[in-house]
Amino acid sequence: MSKPERAWDPGNPDRLYIVTKGCGESKQSSTGLDLVTLIVARTETDPGLQPEHETIVRMCDYPLSVAEISAYLTLPVSTVTVLLNDLLSRGHVEARPPVPVAALPDVGLLEAVMHGLQNL
Amino acid sequence: MVGTGSSPQVRRPASSLIWLVPPVVLAVCTATAALLVPLSVRTPTAWCGTAATVAVALTSSEAARRGRVINSLRRRCAEQEATLRRQLAEQDAATKRLAEELLPRAMEMLQGGAFADEVVRAVAPPSSDSTPYAAEHRKIIRFVVETVQAEEGLRDSAHRAFVNIARRVQAIVHQQATDLREMEDRHGNTPEVFSDLLHLDHGTALIGRLADSIAVLGGSRPGRQWKNPIPLYNVLRGAMSRIMDYRRVDLHSVADVAITGPGVEPVIHAAAELLDNATRYSPPETRVHLTAVEIQSGVAIEIEDAGVGLTDEHRRRTDRVLAMADRGFDLDDLGETPRLGLAVVSRLAKSYGFRVSLRPSAYGGVRAVLIVPAELVTASATPGGEIARAATLPPPKVRKKPGRPLPDPPPAMETPAVGSHTANGLPQRRRRALGMAARAAAVAPAPAETAPRTEPESEPTQPGLWLAAFTSALKGDAPAGDRGQSSDDPSDEKE
Repeated sequence: MSKPERAWDPGNPDRLYIVTKGCGESKQSSTGLDLVTLIVARTETDPGLQPEHETIVRMCDYPLSVAEISAYLTLPVSTVTVLLNDLLSRGHVEARPPVPVAALPDVGLLEAVMHGLQNL
Repeated sequence: MVGTGSSPQVRRPASSLIWLVPPVVLAVCTATAALLVPLSVRTPTAWCGTAATVAVALTSSEAARRGRVINSLRRRCAEQEATLRRQLAEQDAATKRLAEELLPRAMEMLQGGAFADEVVRAVAPPSSDSTPYAAEHRKIIRFVVETVQAEEGLRDSAHRAFVNIARRVQAIVHQQATDLREMEDRHGNTPEVFSDLLHLDHGTALIGRLADSIAVLGGSRPGRQWKNPIPLYNVLRGAMSRIMDYRRVDLHSVADVAITGPGVEPVIHAAAELLDNATRYSPPETRVHLTAVEIQSGVAIEIEDAGVGLTDEHRRRTDRVLAMADRGFDLDDLGETPRLGLAVVSRLAKSYGFRVSLRPSAYGGVRAVLIVPAELVTASATPGGEIARAATLPPPKVRKKPGRPLPDPPPAMETPAVGSHTANGLPQRRRRALGMAARAAAVAPAPAETAPRTEPESEPTQPGLWLAAFTSALKGDAPAGDRGQSSDDPSDEKE
C-alpha cells in the first residue's frame, strides 16, 4: 500500500479533472492537435493564467510537440490537449503542423527551373 | 438516658414541694375538721381525713412523678429532634456535596481517562469515613462511575468500529485513486476512456471525503498524511477536487505560501466541507469564490457563495454546532439526513487550531472564513503552486541560427535573442512583446526596430533575394536594377 503511494504523486493533492476544469472531453478532432503538433507561445506568460497554462506558455517559448509537453508536465496527453485547447482559444499559443514535408516545391516548378537554367 | 442533665436537679425541690401542698392542705383541713366536729364523730372524721390525706398524698405524689417523667420525656424528645435536625442538615450537606462536588469530579476524571477504581479512590477515599454517609456515597459513586464507564466503553467501541470502517474505505479509495491515476496515464491518448476515468476519479474522491468525515468525527485524523509542505494553491485545488460541483468554484488569487505536511489534509478537508456547503446551498447557476490571503495570524481562506444566506435560526444552529466541537461524535449526525459538514469542520478546527466563521456575504449568501494558524503555514518552495506533479521543465534552449528551416518562418523566427547585436557587438535582448506588436502591426517597422533585425537576416534573405531576381529574370524583366530597394521589399513582405 505504501509503495504505490510513493510512486503516486509524492506531494500533490491535485486531481487531473481539476487541472482540466472538468472537461475531460478534448475536442481533439476539431482542433486537429495530435502528438506531433508543434506548439509555440505567442504571448508572454500572464499572471492570471492557471499554473499549468503558464508553464506551457513558458516552455513553448521554443516550439515543442504535444508529446514533449505531456512528458515534461508528466500529464496525460488528453489533459495536455485540453489545456492546449484553452490556450489556443485564448490565443496564448499557436499550433502548427509538424515537419514541413510538403514544403519542397513541386516537380513542375523544378522542371521549369531546370528548363530555365538550360535555356540560359 | 439523655435526660440526666443538670437542669432537672435544680428543678426537683420545687416540684417536690408542689406535690406536698395538697396533702398538707388536706391534713390541715382534717385536723381543723376533727377539732371542730363534735367528739362523737371526731374519730371517724379523723380517720376519713387521714385516709383522704393519704390518698391525696399518693395521688399528688404520683402526679408529680408523672409530671417529672413527662418533663424528662419532653426534654429527651427535644434533644432527639435537635439531633435529627442536625443529622438531616448533615445529610443535606453530604448529598449536596455528592451532587455538586464528588460526582462532577468523578465524571471529570473519567473523561480524563481514569479507571473506575482510581476515580472512586480519589473522589471518595476510605479515610474519609469519619464524615457521615461516606460509605454509602462511595457506593453510589462507584455505581455511577461504573455505569458511565460501561456506556463510554460502548460508545468508544462504536466509534472505533466507525473509524475502523472508515479507515478501510479510505484504504480502498486510496488504492483505487492510485489505480485510476495509473489508468489515466495509460489511457491518456484515448479521450473517450480518459474522460470516463476522470469521471470515476471524481466519484472516488467524493467517497474518500465521506470516509474522511466519518474518521474525523470518530476522533481520528483525516485520511492520508503528507510529508512535505504543499503550496496553498494545490491544497485548495485538492479541496475543490473533493466536492460535487467543483466546476462552480472560482479559484482566485491565492497567497503564495505552503501548508506544512501535517496540516495539509486537515486544511483540504475543512475547505472541502465548507466548499461543499457553499455549493450545496446556493443556486446551481451561481459561482462560488475561493480566495486565500495571508494575515497576521496565518492564512485566511475565504469561501463566498451567492446562496440564500443564513437566517438567524440557521446562524444560531451553525454557531452551536461549531461551538460543540468537543461534544464528540454523535451518532445522530449519521442519521437519516447526515449533516456532517460543520461538525467535521468544527472538529478539525478544534484539533488543529483553525478558526471558522460564517457570516453574511455581500453577495447575499454566506461568507465562510477559515483561518489556518501560522504554525501550519510555511514558505512555499514553488511560488505560484506546483504544476501538476513535479514538473520537470525543458532545459533552456539556446536559439539556433535564424536560418534554421522551421516550417513557417515569420511567427517562429521572431527576433532571435542571440542573433541581434548592438553597435558595440554585444548581444542585445529584445522584448518579445515588442516584436509581437511589430509583427501584428505588419506595417513598415521603425528603422531602429529593423536595424538589428535585418543584419542577421541578411544572410538567409539572400537566397530568396536571388530567387526573386531569378524569377523576375525568368519573366523577362530587367534583372533588378535597384538591389537596395528590392532587398527591403521581400523582408517587408515576409514581415
